[in-house]
This record gives sequence, C-alpha cells and structure tokens, in this order.
Amino acid sequence: MSWRKRPQPSHALPDGRTETVRLSVDPILLSAVLGLLSLGLVMVYSASAVTALEKTGNGFYFLQRQLVAAAVGLLAMATALKLGYRRLARLAYPLLVVTVLLLVLVLVPGVGTLVGGARRWIRFPGVSIQPAEIAKFTWVVYLAYSLAKKREKVASFSIGFLPHLLLGGMLVVLCMAQPDFGSAVELLVLLFVLLFAAGTKLSYLVGSVLLALPLAYHAVAHSPYRLKRITAFLDPWAHRHDVGYQVAQSLISVGSGGFWGLGLGESRQKLFFLPEAHTDFIFSIVGEELGLFGAAATVLLYAIIVWRGTRAALRAGETFGTYLGLGLTALLGVQAVVNMSVAMGMLPTKGLTLPFVSYGGCSLVVSMTAAGALLSLSASTAPMRAAVTRRRAPTEALA
Amino acid sequence: MAAGSYSPARPSGEAATRWVRLRVAMMGGLLFFGLALALGRAVQLQVIQSAQLGLMATDQSSREMDVPARRGEILDRRGVSLASSVEVDSLWVDPSQLGDPGRAAVDLARVLHLDAVELAQRLSRARRFAWVKRQVTPPELAAARALGVPGLGVTKEPKRFYPQKELAAQVLGVVGKDGLGLEGLELAFEEELTGTGSKVEGIRDARGRNVLLDGAPATRAREGANVTLTLDRTLQYTAEKVLDQAVAESEAQNGMVVALDPRTGELLAVAHAPRFNPNSPTAVPAPILRDRAALDVFEPGSTFKAFVAAGALESGAVRADEAFFCENGAWEVGKHVIHDTHPHGWLALPKILQVSSNICMGKVAQKLGRDGMVRTLRQFGFGDRSGLALPGEGRGSVPYPRAEVTLATQSFGQGVSATAVQVAAAFGALANGGVLMRPYLVARVTDPDGVVLLENQPTEVRRVVSEKVARAVVSMLEGVVEKEGTGTRAHMDDYRVAGKTGTAQKPDPLAGGYSERRIASFVGMVPAESPRLVVLVVIDEPKTDVFGGLVAAPAFKEIAAAALPALGVPPSRGVHLVARAPEPRKTLPIPPPVQVKGGATPGETLTERLQPGAVAVPDVQGRVGREAVARLLSLALEPRLLGSGRVVAQSPAPGARVAKGARVTLEMSTAAGD
Repeated sequence: MSWRKRPQPSHALPDGRTETVRLSVDPILLSAVLGLLSLGLVMVYSASAVTALEKTGNGFYFLQRQLVAAAVGLLAMATALKLGYRRLARLAYPLLVVTVLLLVLVLVPGVGTLVGGARRWIRFPGVSIQPAEIAKFTWVVYLAYSLAKKREKVASFSIGFLPHLLLGGMLVVLCMAQPDFGSAVELLVLLFVLLFAAGTKLSYLVGSVLLALPLAYHAVAHSPYRLKRITAFLDPWAHRHDVGYQVAQSLISVGSGGFWGLGLGESRQKLFFLPEAHTDFIFSIVGEELGLFGAAATVLLYAIIVWRGTRAALRAGETFGTYLGLGLTALLGVQAVVNMSVAMGMLPTKGLTLPFVSYGGCSLVVSMTAAGALLSLSASTAPMRAAVTRRRAPTEALA
Repeated sequence: MAAGSYSPARPSGEAATRWVRLRVAMMGGLLFFGLALALGRAVQLQVIQSAQLGLMATDQSSREMDVPARRGEILDRRGVSLASSVEVDSLWVDPSQLGDPGRAAVDLARVLHLDAVELAQRLSRARRFAWVKRQVTPPELAAARALGVPGLGVTKEPKRFYPQKELAAQVLGVVGKDGLGLEGLELAFEEELTGTGSKVEGIRDARGRNVLLDGAPATRAREGANVTLTLDRTLQYTAEKVLDQAVAESEAQNGMVVALDPRTGELLAVAHAPRFNPNSPTAVPAPILRDRAALDVFEPGSTFKAFVAAGALESGAVRADEAFFCENGAWEVGKHVIHDTHPHGWLALPKILQVSSNICMGKVAQKLGRDGMVRTLRQFGFGDRSGLALPGEGRGSVPYPRAEVTLATQSFGQGVSATAVQVAAAFGALANGGVLMRPYLVARVTDPDGVVLLENQPTEVRRVVSEKVARAVVSMLEGVVEKEGTGTRAHMDDYRVAGKTGTAQKPDPLAGGYSERRIASFVGMVPAESPRLVVLVVIDEPKTDVFGGLVAAPAFKEIAAAALPALGVPPSRGVHLVARAPEPRKTLPIPPPVQVKGGATPGETLTERLQPGAVAVPDVQGRVGREAVARLLSLALEPRLLGSGRVVAQSPAPGARVAKGARVTLEMSTAAGD
C-alpha cells in the first residue's frame, strides 16, 4: 500500500515543518479527553473514599492508584500520538497474537486471578492487566488493518466476512470463558460496526445476528447470573432487595440527584448502598452528586469524542485510518453509551467501565491509548487536508 | 466530488470510499443516537422521576435518630440520689456480614456468657440488625471486640443505676431495658422522668451505621425531670436493716415498715423485706418487686382497736372510764366464739387497749353500732385510696357489718382490709391531734431548669376525731408499751411511746375462713406527748413467735431509737428533767455575751452578738448525757458524745460563739458518779 512508503504528510508541506503533527493536535478532542479524565479522578475519589477507608484504612487508596494509572495513560496517549497511528498497522498482527496469548493465559489457574468467580486479571507485582480490555483495542487495530488491506474483497463472504467472524468468535469464546460477557458483546459490536463500515453485505450481518440469537438465548438461559441480570433489568423494583438491588440503587442514585445534584461529595448512595460505585456505576454517583447538569456534561464530552473521532475517521487520508478512527470512536462511544445505559436501567448489567472515568487502571490506559491514536489520526489528517484544500480549494468550495 | 478528493491516488476506490464515508457517518450517528437516548433517560430520571427516587434515597439513608433525654433522677428528701441514669454499651451485629453466623454465635456467647444456641437463632432470624447483648460490661465489650467478628457494632444506651442498691427498691420500682418504667415510682412518674427526646436528622449507611450530618442535635433534648421523695435515706436504711433482721429472726415470709411524719403526712421510710438489688432485677420474682406497703391490702388485726376506740369516744357511745365485761376469755356471738389471749373480767377502755381484749372491743363496737363502725373506719381513711399517685394503689375494704360477729371482728381488725400506708396514716391522725393528713411520697417534681412541675404540700384530709379524743386515745396507747401491755418491747427509756400491737389471722383463700398463719404488727408514735414519727411494722407469717408485741414491737423500737435523734427530736424524759429542775441562769436561750479579751469595744461585742446564726455554747459540764444533749439541741447545736455518764469536758468551751448546727463534743465519764 502506498501509505507505507509515503513520507509523512507534514514533510510534503512546502515550508518543511516537522512539528506539524504536534502542533495540529485536535484541541477539542484533547479537551474532551482531559475533561473526562479529570471528572473521573474527582469522581473516583468521591465515590470510593468511604469504601477505601473501610477496606484499607486509607481514604485515598483508589484515588492514588487511579492517579498512577492516569499518569501511565497520559504517557501512553502521548506515545501513541508521537509515534503516529500508522505504526499500529504494522503492529496489528503482533498485537493480535499477544492479545490471544494473554486471553488464553488469563484462563490458566494461577496466572489469571479469580475474582468474584471470574478470571479477568493477570496480576503482576504492582500491576494487574485485564487482557479483555487490551483485546478491544487490538481487535479494532487488527480489523482496521485487515479490512483496509482486503479493500473491495471485504464484500465477499469467504474473504471479507468469514475470517473476521471466525477470529471474532474465537476472541468471544475466550472472553466468555473468563467469563466476561460485556467484553465479548463489545468485541462483537466492534466487529459488526467495522464490517458494516467496510461494506460487508447487510444480509451477512443480519443473517449472522439471526443465527446468533439462539446461541445468545442459550447463553443467557443457562447462566443463572445472566438470567438474573435480565430479570433485574426488566423490573428492578420488583427485585430491588435481591437481583435488582444494584440497578434499583443506581436508579435511586441518578434520580435523587435531580437537576443540580446533591453537591460534590454529598452522595448518600456511595455509603455502601450502591455496589461498584467507583467502578462500573460511577455514572450513578456523577448523576447523584452533580445532577442532570453533570450527567449532561458527561454525555456531552462523549458526544464531542464521537464527533471529533468520527470527523477524524472521515478525514483520514486512507482506509486504515478511517476504519481505525471509526473503530476507536466506537470502542469509546459504545462503551460509554452501554455503561450509562446500564447505570440508568436501559440495558442489563454488563460489567463495562465508563471510559476515562471509572476506576480501573487497565481500562484507563487502554482508553488513553485509543485517544492518543485518535489524536494522531486527526493530527495527521489536518495538515494534509490543509494542503489538499489549498490545491483543491475551488472543488471544495463547490462541494 | 468531495468524497473522492481524499484519495486521489486511488480512483478505483473512489465509489467504495464514498460508501465507506457514508457508513462511517451512519455509525457515528448511531453513537450520537445512543448518547442522546442516555441523555433523554437522564432527563427522565433526574427531572421527571427525581422527586420519587429522591424520596426512596431519603427513605433508605435518612434516619431520624432519637436522642433520648436523660432519664430524671429520683432523690431522697435531702437530694441524695436513689436512682440515676448512666450510659452503657450495647452490642449488636449485622448478621448479613457474618461469614459464619454459627461460629460467631458460639464465640460471642462464650465471651458474653450467653446461650450459644439461642444467640445463633437470633442471628439467623435477623437480616441486618440483631442485638447480641445489651448493656454489656467494659470487659465483655473488650472481649467481644477482640474476637474481630465482622459487622459487630456498639451503641450507647442509657441504663438505670441505683447508687443505693437495695435501698427503697420496691418503692422506686424498676426500669426495663428499653428505658421504660415497669414498677413503682419509675412507672408512676414515667412521663416526667423520661422527658422529651430530641430527633436528629442523620444519615445511615447501608450497613445500618449512623453517620451524623451536622454533629449536634437540632433541638436540645429536654432532660427528664427529677423526682424528689419525702423518704429519708438514713431512716429508710435503718428501717430496712431492722426489718430484715426482724423477718429473719422470726423466720417470717416477708415484712413491711412504713414510717411517716404525722404532722405532714410525709412518708419517711417505706421498707420491704426481702430486699432486692434493682441494678440486676431480672432474677427477682415478681411479688418481691412490688411496693406492697402501698399496693397490697391485708387484714390488719388489733391495731384497728385504736381507731374503733377513738370512734367510740368521739361519737359518745362509750366513756373512757366505762367498764366492759370481758367474759373471762370466751364470748359466744351467734354461732361463733370470740377468744382473748388471756381471760379478763371487767375492763375500761385504757385497759382494753393495753391488754388488747377482743371480747371487750367487740362490746365497744356493739355500742358504737354498725353505722358508727363503718363511719369511723371510713373517716380514718380506710376503703379509700390514700392518694399516693401510684398505679394500682390498694383501696382496702370496709364492708358493712351485717352479722353481729362481723361487727365484733371488725373492731379488732378482721373482716376489713387496708394497706400498710393506710394504717400508718390513720394512726398518724391520732398522733396529729385527730386530723388525718394525706400521706405522700413525692415532695416535688422539678424539671432540669428548676421549674417545679409538681409539689405536694401537707394536706389535711379531714378532722377524724376531736383533739381531746385523740389525746385521750394516745395516752391510753401509752399504756400498751407499759408494764402489763401487749407491746412492752416497744418501750423506750428516753422517749414516750404510744402504740398498738396487732396479731391478725390470715384469711385462707382456699378453705374460706381463717388459717393458722398470722400477720404480726406494731404501730406506734413517738414522742407521745408531741408525736414526730409514726412507724408501722408488719411481719407476715412469723414462725418463731406470732404476736405483734413480740415480733414487730422490738423492730419499732429499734427504728424509732435510730430515727429520733436523726430527726432532731429531743428525748421526752430529758425534757421532763429540764422542766422539773429549771436553772433560770442556764436556761436563757442566749447567755450574755462574753467579753472578749484584748480590749474589745462594746460595739464589737454587739456585732458579735448579732452575728446571724451564731450561738454561744452553753456550759453543760457536770450534767448527765440526756440533759446535755437536750440543752445543745435546743440551741440548734449538734452534740457528739464520747463515752457515757456525766459530761466531764466539752469542746468548744462554754461561752464560745459558734454557728448554728456546729458540733459540740462532750466527753462523758461515769467516774464522776451519780
């Protein structure tokens, strides 16, 4: 492909600036990311202080860990931005292999740590990684690379559809083995988003969804905890003392915030009423303490990310960039929508974090890396677009 | 085309790229749609359903914490605390946090001395809260905490504490673990003692722990009012000690003492035997908890003769010197035969009372008549609650004596019933010149700000008999404790005693009629010439001796002997001695001021003399003890005696000026000789 051999767009500029990449970072996207990161740090502290004090005797315990993760995440974001998203194309296969390896390793007792009946973490001293989080990112990178490479063959069943479906199926199976239903679903959603964007026939997509329905039904009906989550989702108030407890408490949290919220730090629900207040259900505490004002601001920040991410994808100079931009935007956006929907009782409990906001080092670093790649994409398109625009100004104006 | 302009290098992909762009935009739009849905849902929850959901949050997390007011104290007449409240720790647990409830129950039961099985059941029944043990001791608390049981919590609870332990326990009553009065005054004055608790807006966490929002209570708790009694701690203690001993020595079931001031009706002591410690009342059988002296009625026996005699004299049916034939010990009335302990011939009223002849008293009653009998007894307050404001106070009964024999038996206190307080109060009427005073136990109820909520003043109920009749009967009753009387054991050397013995047969509730069991009693007043104290001693079912004169009279004497000096009552006979041998120079209330050495001016002397509350110490050297004590008491000085006999030395020296109530030590010796 030509973009492999092509020089950096910035170098093509007549003035020969080499700092173009850094200078043309999308300030809106960066602001949204940093805004969510800051909101996350504040809310993680607010939501976790009581729990932290109770569990560890240190009210700042979770905040301190999240600050470290944020620092690592910023570094990851800067690195991704500096190296440029194009490097990811070359890394697509190695990353995928490492990811599959990690997803297999995490299932091995002794390597993967069993927490709450699931093996989702590989613990190292001081650090623990969550292969499923990494998988979301590498899966997007791989799909963008693979779909861009196959180009118009994407439409064919055997080359464009089946291999990706099979590979996706394998990752899903590995995730389900942990089990991690939420990540599995997200991997499938990302697959379908990118296949759709790349031009896979709709009949394949619809057909496979129809074929998957019995499997999904089986997965839910034969897993007591998933069935419970569905039951709880359908009527949380009828089950508010058992399976619907978390959903009901989350609804109470969000609702009791009202328009302006109870005020930062004033949440009552974080006093052990709402489980997972600083991780998967942090949005409920945002809603409770900051009200509709805070909730809307959060939604707005994600909307900005979706807007700027999609914009970057649309303006990318080549198909890989477009797919990668869409994939990463979807990675962040889908997760945000699903997480907030779960917190507000619109979807069954999934176990997905709120990107940039929820407590969780691995999730945060992966999100920041994705943001870095998106920023790199938008940065590398900007100067080129400027150049193109100069050249094609009349056409552009006509359009 | 704008779409194609981005990939000019690949014209073949131009169309495809355009579609890709469209589809990417569609996906972006889908994400926007998802976000918009989330925003809509947030509006729905936070605007439309906000009030309802907020209420649910408040419901589960707000807790109006009751901060109970400190329960008021119960004090004796001098302000000595008889009952107060302290804060103690109570242990509870959130069973949902217990990993292994069975094991936790076993561990906790071991250190807290509880029944493990019962505790395990309690822990398994409750979801989020269960008391483990209330009102634990500090060592128990430490031991329980050391176990490290998860979900264990501690709450401060007020506990009633009785610093005087057994003292007046039945009168004070008991308080349950929830801080509510269950018996006695604690029950009667529940509302006043409790006060008004305050409510504190607080929040609780999901584990049931309180998190105070603002720290301080919004409204200050109104503490419970203090109840001040008329009881005298010292006299109460003496009465209980003496009664305990009397009950033990006579191997009786139980006993009561009621002591009151006949001039005011104030109850000075209400003692019960057996006693119990109200600080741990759980193991005490219910009957022992009762304030029987006020609540329970009994057939009082011959102590009633005094009232019937007074009634008969008052109505003019009988003259004091009128003689009655006592039938030599057995008198047939209808189908019944009334017996005397000893046979007697012709006796007048003083002698009838002295030897306590049932037969002659029956004849007096015949003269008094049925209506006269009922009227007399009701006038003395029998058959009516005396008005102690205790729930369930006994009323007693004075049935109309239809049968001839009933009229006779009522004259010696059988076939009628009364509470001990009623008997003592009626006897107080004789002591008080014929005026019945309402007996009372609570002097006043004062709230913490010092506002008096209730105050009892001495209240005349009615004049029962004329002063003349009362004096006459009292002087007849003095004979009871003299030689040949039934109550000689109540005789006191220093004080004139008037009293009446009683030995009642107890009704047999099963067989009807009367059993062989007895209630022995003695009611007396001292000093007879101006009674300051009425004491009733009731011994229930004594085994060794059954007669009131033998069982109850000594107890009376012992109580009176301890009480009178404490009440500041000068000895009767001492007063007589002083009166009989007046020494004008020495009986001056205040001797002329002694010139102070060192050139004191008359003015200074004058000031000294007018000094408020100051008295000159009289010279009591050479006097016998009784006289010296009477002399000092008349000047409001407190004598302290060392040894016995005559005063050989005194300190401070005669003529020294001291404040009223100062102590004067008298060294006594018999060596100086009478």
